[in-house]
Amino acid sequence: MSGINPLLAGCLHELPRILELRDNPAVRARLLPPPTAEDAAINQEWKESIEPDLRHLLASASEIITRDLTGLKPSPRAPDCCFVTFPNTHTAAWMSALNQARLILSVLAKVDEIDMNLPYSQLKGEKVLAVIQIDAFGILLNQFVERELKPSRRAKPNHPGPKRRKKQ
Amino acid sequence: MTPSNAAGQPGVIQIVETITKSELSTPWNVVVHNDPINLMTYVTMVLMRVFGYPRAKANKMMLEVHNLGRSLVWSGGREQAEHYVHQLHGYQLLATMEKSST
Repeated sequence: MSGINPLLAGCLHELPRILELRDNPAVRARLLPPPTAEDAAINQEWKESIEPDLRHLLASASEIITRDLTGLKPSPRAPDCCFVTFPNTHTAAWMSALNQARLILSVLAKVDEIDMNLPYSQLKGEKVLAVIQIDAFGILLNQFVERELKPSRRAKPNHPGPKRRKKQ
Repeated sequence: MTPSNAAGQPGVIQIVETITKSELSTPWNVVVHNDPINLMTYVTMVLMRVFGYPRAKANKMMLEVHNLGRSLVWSGGREQAEHYVHQLHGYQLLATMEKSST
């Protein structure tokens, strides 16, 4: 990922810290909602058997991108911009982490649909920074999504390709 | 449930729970609910990935979620419905399963 402007880079620096807020009760309720609206038995069974797997999924995405972000550095050709390199196999983790962060921020700052459509100048208090970060992570997430939706990108990740013989 | 060797013994009441054929065959609906934060493109991508829907169909369902608040994205057996809801939650979509009324 390259051409990351200072605002996006600043938000990315904050990403691991934001993801750590995952265990806040209100955040947890959003990230791990029950599977049914009314069936207590199914919901309880889900909590015991499925929820641990989902929690692990969320946590592992966070761990992967936190490690990747240690490589975030200024671009040699454009010092105002940054870049970070990671394998294609980490794409799912990046999308998960960016989406998690957007949801975490929205829950903690109580951002609703109206807030998301207001100009930044009309937002108040903690909502200002939260919406800016939600939008910033949304820009990055959308780049991943657009790449995934491109029809040409049907090759599986980690495809090794043909081996080349060394010249003798 | 009591063990089978308890049947017929004095003072033992055996209760057998029978799931009727109609309950087993009742389809379950998987519903995706609106969330103002999830990107529309992201929701479309997830529907394509989880259900294998073509982009046009996934996009149509995403727009239903966006405009109507919810969309019925799949209907079928309970176990498969649970599997799909599990996957959708893995992408942080708000999804539930409910017994079909039809």
